[in-house]
Amino acid sequence: MREPRNPFHLRASEQIESDATFLRLFGPGVLDLLPQDGLWDRVQIFRSAPGGGKTSLLRLFTPASLLTLHSYRSGEDYKELYQRLKGLGAISDDGPQILGIMLSCARNYATFEDLAFDQHQQERLLHALLNARLILATLRGALALKRLEYPRDLDRLVIRPPRHAELPSTLPGAGPARALYDWACSVEKRVCETLDSFSPVTGIPIRGQDTLHALSFLRPDGILCDGRPITGQLLVMIDDVHKLTPGQRRKLLETLFDLRAPVGVWLAERLEALSPDEVLAPGATTGREYGEPINLEEFWRPGGNARRFEPVVINIADRRVKSAQDIEVGPFAGYLHDTLDGAEWQAAFERACATVAERVRKRVGAAARYQDWVRAIEFVEGTPRERTLAWRALEIIIERDLRKSQLVLFPDLVLAPEELGRKDDSEVRGAAEFFLAHEFGIPYYFGSSRLANLASCNIEQFLALAGDLFEEILALELLGRHGVLRPERQEAILKKAVRRRWEEIPRRIPNGRDVWALLEAIRQCARWETDRPNAPYAPGVTGIALTMADRARLADPSVRKRRPEYERLARALSSCIAHNLLEASIDRSQGQKGKTWMVLYLNRLLCLQFELPLQYGGWRPKTPDELCRWLDHGFRPPKNGGSSLL
Amino acid sequence: MSAELRWSQYFLGRGPRFRSFWAQHLEQRERRLLFILGRGFDPRMCAGVRAILAAGGTGVLDCLLVHFDEGQDSPSRRHDELARENQAALEELLRPRGAITDRLVRMRSAEGRRIGSRGAAAVVSDLANLMRYTDVVVDVSAMPRSIYFPLIGKLLYLLDRGNTADSSTALPNLHVVVAEDARLDRSIRDVGIDDTASYIPGFASDLDMEATAEVPKVWIPILGERQATQLERIYHLVTPDEICPVLPSPSLYPRRGDDLLLEYRELLFDRWRVEPQNIIYASEQNPFEAYRQVHRTVRHYHQALQPLRGCKAAISALSSKLLSVGALLAAYELKQLEFSVGIAHAEVQGYEMGGTDDEESGEAMARERELFTLWLAGECYEP
Repeated sequence: MREPRNPFHLRASEQIESDATFLRLFGPGVLDLLPQDGLWDRVQIFRSAPGGGKTSLLRLFTPASLLTLHSYRSGEDYKELYQRLKGLGAISDDGPQILGIMLSCARNYATFEDLAFDQHQQERLLHALLNARLILATLRGALALKRLEYPRDLDRLVIRPPRHAELPSTLPGAGPARALYDWACSVEKRVCETLDSFSPVTGIPIRGQDTLHALSFLRPDGILCDGRPITGQLLVMIDDVHKLTPGQRRKLLETLFDLRAPVGVWLAERLEALSPDEVLAPGATTGREYGEPINLEEFWRPGGNARRFEPVVINIADRRVKSAQDIEVGPFAGYLHDTLDGAEWQAAFERACATVAERVRKRVGAAARYQDWVRAIEFVEGTPRERTLAWRALEIIIERDLRKSQLVLFPDLVLAPEELGRKDDSEVRGAAEFFLAHEFGIPYYFGSSRLANLASCNIEQFLALAGDLFEEILALELLGRHGVLRPERQEAILKKAVRRRWEEIPRRIPNGRDVWALLEAIRQCARWETDRPNAPYAPGVTGIALTMADRARLADPSVRKRRPEYERLARALSSCIAHNLLEASIDRSQGQKGKTWMVLYLNRLLCLQFELPLQYGGWRPKTPDELCRWLDHGFRPPKNGGSSLL
Repeated sequence: MSAELRWSQYFLGRGPRFRSFWAQHLEQRERRLLFILGRGFDPRMCAGVRAILAAGGTGVLDCLLVHFDEGQDSPSRRHDELARENQAALEELLRPRGAITDRLVRMRSAEGRRIGSRGAAAVVSDLANLMRYTDVVVDVSAMPRSIYFPLIGKLLYLLDRGNTADSSTALPNLHVVVAEDARLDRSIRDVGIDDTASYIPGFASDLDMEATAEVPKVWIPILGERQATQLERIYHLVTPDEICPVLPSPSLYPRRGDDLLLEYRELLFDRWRVEPQNIIYASEQNPFEAYRQVHRTVRHYHQALQPLRGCKAAISALSSKLLSVGALLAAYELKQLEFSVGIAHAEVQGYEMGGTDDEESGEAMARERELFTLWLAGECYEP
């Protein structure tokens, strides 16, 4: 296959077939999300929406990636990644220190439930097939780690299971790896042939197994190559766990927690909204046996650790730009104009400044209360943009104060400029900037920082948007018009990209029509709340929330059975969260005392489509009944003008 | 492994030849026909039955009517009235000639898992049920691929097994009928594409097997319009090492292949870096041409990649029903020859009709329709 023209279009790790390219494009900052302790000897779950970066993370620890990284470790593009992995103990100057086995559940496991076997038989079949595949993947990985050919060189491997391991008699014990390979191939073949046959399935194809024995006896010190253990640590990485049926997934987790195998097990799955709580084995405790699940988007999200995501993705973007064939090397942010203080926007800001200033003066009139504030803003120095921003912020603050002044004891008291300084915070400035852009047609969605925000902490989403911008940069280079993308052009490209995605929702996503209707109603609600003159939820509303009690009701199958409209709503919400259209944050304590919430923020890309600000924070409480009404009738503004501020 | 193609000699009748073939076929002797068709809103549902009835014959004409239940939430439900009208028309047509037997195929399990394909293969469970007919005709015009792929696969399998078991017993002929209508196809849109693609049961082969995970995978998608999402999802399932897209050429609209390349240029060339020389061309109007091309491609790769233990091939039909049948025949035959070949597919929650730029009435669309009949097994292939 050819080298990519636009490297941003290489999105999923599966599409990058060269390990060297994969490593060169991998941003080492992603490793921040790995816990520092117990990485190699416990069960760790990773969750994210599609495109969150799970599979790329797992691929990093496979033998092919580690061997390539070891070979290239002195190269400029690989040094940092090498040092980070060395710090984690995955690699050293001697080579890879772990044997990482990657296994996908996106296979035929779910079809077991279509066969006429009882649950016990199905579980035994699942264990047997997983055991066979774990063995095959481990043997292949072991040979790869020793740069040997699979399956030709299997004769150089010997298996030495631990003495105390209780293994079924059907499983070959200590001895040449070839016997184990033959056994595993035969099990897998028989199961797959049964599943794929046009003949009716008359009996269980194999005896099945009680548990994941493979994890008990596949120890790195028990796999010998030419008489020596292959490595010090085994890491089993099971990807796409969400593709198992709920019962199979539950069983897999139970088995893993019961087994307490002497190997590291990482599980990667997509977010599944409103799924039943995970069943954890009694007696297992967080910490030693398994780590707290890591939600990738949650980890990067500003609520968790502000601005963690931005440097990571900008680094990834720089790496992509560097690997492009048709462009001079330079940082990605350098191609994106990120200020409106240039001469081309001066006239627009001057006009906006005059309009807003006049409006403020008219609103204040002769009242003494705000005269010092107005005077203070009149003397503000700075660019036209900064002065306009100051006036618009003042307008918001005055509007808020006017709404409260009916309750104030001395409404004619002149307010001091220091008071204005205290009220003019970043949220008000954010709202002012957003309102100005909206009112005067000034670009808002541009620059590398906002681009990172628009990605909603999803790496694939970032690459898609950055790819569209980079396409234009490539075109400019091709035409010999070197330079940077102007803010208005960036915004136009991004708007076009998001419009396409928005229009595709009914087709692309299960329950797409309801998803569309729900998001459209959230848009109407958010716009109505955001556009209120006093900006009560500055810089704007970009989400809704359900109480955790309501969430539990929606998650309860018996409730949904009684209330079909809840079933419909739950499916729409579930689709929204699973596809990263809504970002769920649960157990949030805010507002009324004692109440906890599941906050559902719009994906920041939808904020662009809906012309909403990009900051988090503003959300409105809703009930399931209200949301059910939205599915059919959309949002209707309240007659009394809205509920209380949270 | 034989190099001889099973359908190197084939029978395909279209337009006027459709009518003349069936008139002649039914005139030869009394034929007892079993018609298998899908109940749906597609205006083409009864076109095949109507044409064959008009061709003559006096024998019984029974019908196995497959109801595919996509669930209460399916977007197709908004066309329930059209489906009811189609069923009423079918009952009216068949009243003097035979009985209609209903078969329900649930597309999803109670937990939401896809089970339609497996259910479709079970619609015909035993060859004995077919033996009282001289001809089995599967009309795929109003059926989704996830139904007619396993159904035709199962019928071919039963007939092949019957042939081997007892060569003296006359087995029924197997025909496939398609009412091809490019304009109507354009007006029917997939809605709610499943998150993940899967292999169609019976056509999964060893593509998923860990034991052969290092064997190179070749993906042969037969391209049609507005299938980018399906293509992406199938790509993630297959994760191919080599991609050989099939474009329709010759085609009724000569620029169709170019338009498809434009539509998928980012996916094919920027993201998946497909080599232009990998593109395969197959006639839009001849499924046996697509069959031959796919067959040849798989054999070629298998041979060229022998040092790497051959190849595994995944075929995806994302184009017209005619070309899809061609893909199915190639996959079926290669599987029988023990090649590692599967059919990868992304299912949808339902369909919506209407909304094309050049929207026209059902009658106007009917004028554009052309009937095709493919004879897949039986008398004409006997030595």
